[in-house]
Amino acid sequence: MSAMTMAAALAGPALAAWTKTYVVEWNEPAMYYGATSGVIDPGSDCPKGTNPEIDWIKVLMDAGYTREEAQWLRNPANPTRSPIHGQNQMAFRGKDRANVYTNPTSTPDPGLVGVSGAIAEGLNLDGDAKTGFTSPSGEKGIDNNFYKALGCWKTYRAPPRLSSGALTFNDSMRNGSWTTVIVVSGKGADPMNDRNVKVGFYVSDDKMVKDGNGNIARDYSFRIKPHAKYEGIVLARSVDGRIISTRPADIMLRNPGYDRDLELLRAQIDLTIQPDGGLKGYVGGYRPWEAIYRGWVNARGPVIEALTWVQLPAVYYALKRNADYSPTGSKGEKTHISYALRVSAIPAYVLTPDATQIASSVESYRGIAPQEPERVTGLFALVVDGIVPDRNAKVQAGPNAVILPPASAGNSVEAAKQ
Amino acid sequence: MSFRFDRRSVLRGMLGGTAVYMGLPILDIFLNGNGSAYANGAKLPVRFGTYFWGLGLTDTPAGGTRWVPTTTGPGYEIMPELASLSAVKDKVSVFSGFRAIADTKANQVHWSGHASILTGIAPASASRFDGPTFDTRIADAIGTSTRYKMIDVDASLSRHPVSYSTRTGTTFASPETTALGLYTRLFGPGFQDPNSDNWKPDPSIMLRQSVLSAVKDQREALMAGVGKADQIKLDQYFNSVREMENQLAVQLQKPDKCESCVIPTAPKEGPRSASVDVVNANTKTMAKLLAMGLVCNQTRVFTFVHTAGSSETYVAGQSKIYHQITHDEPTDAQLGYQPETSKIAGMVMQAFGDFLVEMNSTKEGDGTLLDHMLVMGFSDTGYAKIHSIENIPMFLAGGAGGKHKAGQHIHTSGDSVTRVSLTAMQLVGAPVGEFGTGTMKTSRPITEVMA
Amino acid sequence: MGYQCLRTAGLLFGTLTAAAAPTLAVAAASATQATEQTSAERKPIKMAFRRITESQYRHTIADVFGSEIQINSRFEPEKRDEGLLAIGTPQLSLTSSGFEQYFALASAISEQALSDNRRDALVGCKPANTAKADEACARKFVEAYGERLFRRPLTDLEIATRLRTASLGAQQASDFYAGLKLALTSLLVAPEFLFRVEIAEPDPINAQQYRLDAYSKASRISFLLWDTSPDEELLAAARNGVIHTPAGLKEQLTRLISSPRYEQGARAFFTDMLQLDGFENVVKDPAIYPKFNQSIADGAMEQTLRTTIDLLITKKRDYRDLFTSNETFINRPLASVYNVPFLSAADWTRYTFSPSSERFGILTQVSFLSLFSHPGTSSPTKRGIKVNEIFKCEPTPNPPADVDFSKVKDSTNGTIRGRLLDHMENAGCTVCHRRSDPPGLALEHFDGLGQLRTSENGVPIDVSADLNGVKLIGAEGLAKYLHDDPKVPACLVRNVYAYGVGRKTGIREEDYLADQTKIFAGNGYRVPDLMVQIASSPEFFKVAAPSGARTAAAEPASVPTAVQQSARNEQGVHP
Repeated sequence: MSAMTMAAALAGPALAAWTKTYVVEWNEPAMYYGATSGVIDPGSDCPKGTNPEIDWIKVLMDAGYTREEAQWLRNPANPTRSPIHGQNQMAFRGKDRANVYTNPTSTPDPGLVGVSGAIAEGLNLDGDAKTGFTSPSGEKGIDNNFYKALGCWKTYRAPPRLSSGALTFNDSMRNGSWTTVIVVSGKGADPMNDRNVKVGFYVSDDKMVKDGNGNIARDYSFRIKPHAKYEGIVLARSVDGRIISTRPADIMLRNPGYDRDLELLRAQIDLTIQPDGGLKGYVGGYRPWEAIYRGWVNARGPVIEALTWVQLPAVYYALKRNADYSPTGSKGEKTHISYALRVSAIPAYVLTPDATQIASSVESYRGIAPQEPERVTGLFALVVDGIVPDRNAKVQAGPNAVILPPASAGNSVEAAKQ
Repeated sequence: MSFRFDRRSVLRGMLGGTAVYMGLPILDIFLNGNGSAYANGAKLPVRFGTYFWGLGLTDTPAGGTRWVPTTTGPGYEIMPELASLSAVKDKVSVFSGFRAIADTKANQVHWSGHASILTGIAPASASRFDGPTFDTRIADAIGTSTRYKMIDVDASLSRHPVSYSTRTGTTFASPETTALGLYTRLFGPGFQDPNSDNWKPDPSIMLRQSVLSAVKDQREALMAGVGKADQIKLDQYFNSVREMENQLAVQLQKPDKCESCVIPTAPKEGPRSASVDVVNANTKTMAKLLAMGLVCNQTRVFTFVHTAGSSETYVAGQSKIYHQITHDEPTDAQLGYQPETSKIAGMVMQAFGDFLVEMNSTKEGDGTLLDHMLVMGFSDTGYAKIHSIENIPMFLAGGAGGKHKAGQHIHTSGDSVTRVSLTAMQLVGAPVGEFGTGTMKTSRPITEVMA
Repeated sequence: MGYQCLRTAGLLFGTLTAAAAPTLAVAAASATQATEQTSAERKPIKMAFRRITESQYRHTIADVFGSEIQINSRFEPEKRDEGLLAIGTPQLSLTSSGFEQYFALASAISEQALSDNRRDALVGCKPANTAKADEACARKFVEAYGERLFRRPLTDLEIATRLRTASLGAQQASDFYAGLKLALTSLLVAPEFLFRVEIAEPDPINAQQYRLDAYSKASRISFLLWDTSPDEELLAAARNGVIHTPAGLKEQLTRLISSPRYEQGARAFFTDMLQLDGFENVVKDPAIYPKFNQSIADGAMEQTLRTTIDLLITKKRDYRDLFTSNETFINRPLASVYNVPFLSAADWTRYTFSPSSERFGILTQVSFLSLFSHPGTSSPTKRGIKVNEIFKCEPTPNPPADVDFSKVKDSTNGTIRGRLLDHMENAGCTVCHRRSDPPGLALEHFDGLGQLRTSENGVPIDVSADLNGVKLIGAEGLAKYLHDDPKVPACLVRNVYAYGVGRKTGIREEDYLADQTKIFAGNGYRVPDLMVQIASSPEFFKVAAPSGARTAAAEPASVPTAVQQSARNEQGVHP
């Protein structure tokens, strides 16, 4: 062994006195819920309830389509409306029939009503107790403008674990689409009270397994997969089992959403060790807001709009006006928005990538990660500019598309035979 | 040819105080004359079919269920979305809590659920199944003596006809999509009238008989000098051989006049629209035709699609299709479920009830056609909003010739759907001991519903 | 003992001569070895018909036709008697639906085996005209495959009927191969294939005695060591009589035991002895044992088989180490039940349990612990019963019909242990429970799924037990106790013998089994050596006359038959 490697080995990651390892069994945006139990009901967060269902006939007419054209486009019997991908022509309602998904400012802000309550879950990211919400337990200065902008959007609103967005993505994760693991290690004698704690977030290719009740089974083993992007290491301390970061860090996690990358700048954590051995709490930071919008667009604009009762350009405008962080300094463009992820994890064995031992110390594996190109597979590989073009259609949706079929306007049966 | 069975052959062997002999239930059916058998001793054929509808039934994580009965076992209560089954409740078993288990594969929405039920394998992609569907296996077992091995029907009047029956996973059957088309297929040119005088025996049956006689020829040589316990074993063995011979012999005989077979009149061409009312009416018409096709012995196996997995149907006059409503309707705070979705689910289920009622209104022998068939009803998903493949609703309807102890609600917390599929296969006598791969592999049928 | 056999044999042949003569001619034709004293009166006797098991069926088809042949069928249930399926299943026959399944399966196998792309490899000749029958080629086929399937050469009559079928089929379908398919189907549904027919012939060396014929011997050792029908080399050793000689027999035994295929046979033996077929029906309450699922069940079974084979067959270690060795194999799902990290990228990995895990040997593997407990709790009684039954050959009788269970269940004791100890106070319960419960109580640190739990309702679990005056503590104590108990290797010896001969053992075999056990001990308790040793002992091929094979006229006076003898053994007298 050369002197350098010997020195490196000796100076290597400091041995931890204790390690606890977990697998994330649920993660969703921390959206404080202020009603009693319904998704659309009024509450302290959204006094008028969630943003109401959209009158698409009106939207299309406001965009310049005739009433006849608008009705024809919304009629499920008509051939240009795919039961799976929706009505592609919906994209083209900007100025001069621009595609509003790729060019949201080509249409005026439809106005997504945000949260007007005072309470939010999350973390005090800017250190200022005067900016932001108050936490449910009374802590001031909680920065969560993602929640502020989008908390009254139907897809995000519900008690914990019940919003349709959370259900869809966690169902997918729990069925094996991806796995996030957490390693917590410390140098002291008592994990519940330790000044030097390190928390590592990693991904694993090993899939979670459901137990006989449909919950994620405990105590399975997961090998850390070195990943060029998805990794986060945060320094923290624990007080009576509550682990709070001591210094912000820049991390990236696998996002439970259509956009996969959850970049969090100046990230912090607030995680509590549970009596049953699990770990629950928040991971938060500033995330790029435009990527959020793009994620929804790439999930097929017409489908998202119809199912979640939103005009996607409104999401763009709402995120933009609530963005509250610029990485280049207070004078720079605010490209990021404050955000918190609610996390629940259960005990699991997290192993080093070579599976020779439990990952007892928190270290970075980015250096040995393979450089794999990102591949978009499955349904979303078909999406182009927010819609799925129908290869078999005689008429493609677009700014110049003729809407009503010739000489059979209003006769849907005839139209269906074309 | 006489088909009397010698009671001597129903022996009970005793060896060291324990019974050696294992029961021969089929013998009993042969011996009694309760109208579940032809006059010449052969039993009425059992038919099998699948009935599929898209988008599941309402059952939410918040605990609101509109279809899972509150009690298990016989005499389950009719839940709101099962209202259409009231008339035939005692002939239908309900299976709740069964799930498709994808192991390492992603859940292909509106695909993995019923692919798992039909093939036992969670598919790797949404463009194919990764194995043959088990209806083909049943058709191979019981469908070889009719004009059609299998008939596939799609009543959905949608833009793309759908059948989920496949032997290869890539090529799916071409279904009949209109009532007139189904009529022509069953009763048009080529119709084999069971009551006609031009019947001819099937030569392949005689070949099978020769296989058995080759075995029987050895009987005397084999039995010579054999100990008592072994004599009993061999007697049972040759009994079974003789029984099979007799079954084959029956098939060589001209079948009895089929009183229940009445050729229907051709239906009129109906409207083509995917709205629920039209699809339901189409289902009812096609069910009638199918019932008569079964009674007239044109086929014994069928697959029926009411609406595809990603169903296109909608309530006439509404601009949202049912599929969209399942995803975008919020759960009502007080009720605990999605009310509009549930209402439409009930409308969709109406067609299943009507289908079964048609089968049950068709007389056959001492009972109805439904008594002599087994229909497996199922969907692609449980809680459709999140494409869940847990708690996929499944039903077994019909008597299966007496083998199905119907009218029960069986509940499990997460057993594989393949258990229900395996049960269906065994109820109609297909030779299958095990079904499914990975965690869905099972050799345990649901014996509670098996007579 | 020999005298009894002789007398019964004499009575048998007496009735044979009284029976119809034509059958004798057929029986004579089936004798495969020319006897030195060909007496017209001493003909081969069919000793036994034993239905082959599902795994034996599958292995045979794979050997003869290739492992790509798909076998999708429902096999009839097997039966366990005196601890072994190998004793119970041979007592069974077929039901009608079972025969239908075999018929459908036979057609399917024939269809696959003679499919276009396989037939050339399988059929060693070509017909003159593929659209017509061809007796010469069909004969070659029927003879070759008939011998592999019937495990002996076919008689002329057996060949003739199949040729008739082949010809008929070829004519009807205008396809030679369609005829072959029918002939093959008829071989596959024949009782000579579905049942192991064991034939005794007059012993040329000992006048007036019988011995198992060569093909029956070949079958016995093939099923014992490889769980399949004899291969061509073994059939050849039978054909030329070499298998009757000690050297010839030894040569075949050595060949079979040195082959990698021996593992298949050993797995079949241990699956039977350890009663692992129970996994087909195990259910656990998901509310109490959420980790349990089919994948855990499969893994548990595989773990036990892998560990047993590795220890006893591959490494040829002392049988008794099975109870004390903490070396095993695990996979990822099992690791979650054992609550240890799975440090491997492969499906299975070796694993050595630490002393603090309290895992010692086979009794602390998830398979044993979860098979013999309830869906929602552990069961010391069940586990104790199975320890005695499987490893000491001491079965426990059913509870007497007059047990008043209301008295028993009313124990208010808080722990399972406490309630069971209360049972033992009840007269009428003691006699069995004081033998069945203690081993199970020693295993009480493992719950109904096999997970370690050292306290119940907050109270530490007491795992001390009193077994016949011997005090032991916990799984370690139990493991050492079984390791040192001479009944344990004696039970294995008995099981190997009973498994190989396919019938119960009784008083008549006691001395023989005791001798074999001594030899086993002298050989360091090595299992492969034990199997060879038993298979080469004269007792292994000893012929016991079947009872009842006589007409009403020739009832014996007072000589008990083998069946009556073993029936006596079975009735309530524990060894």
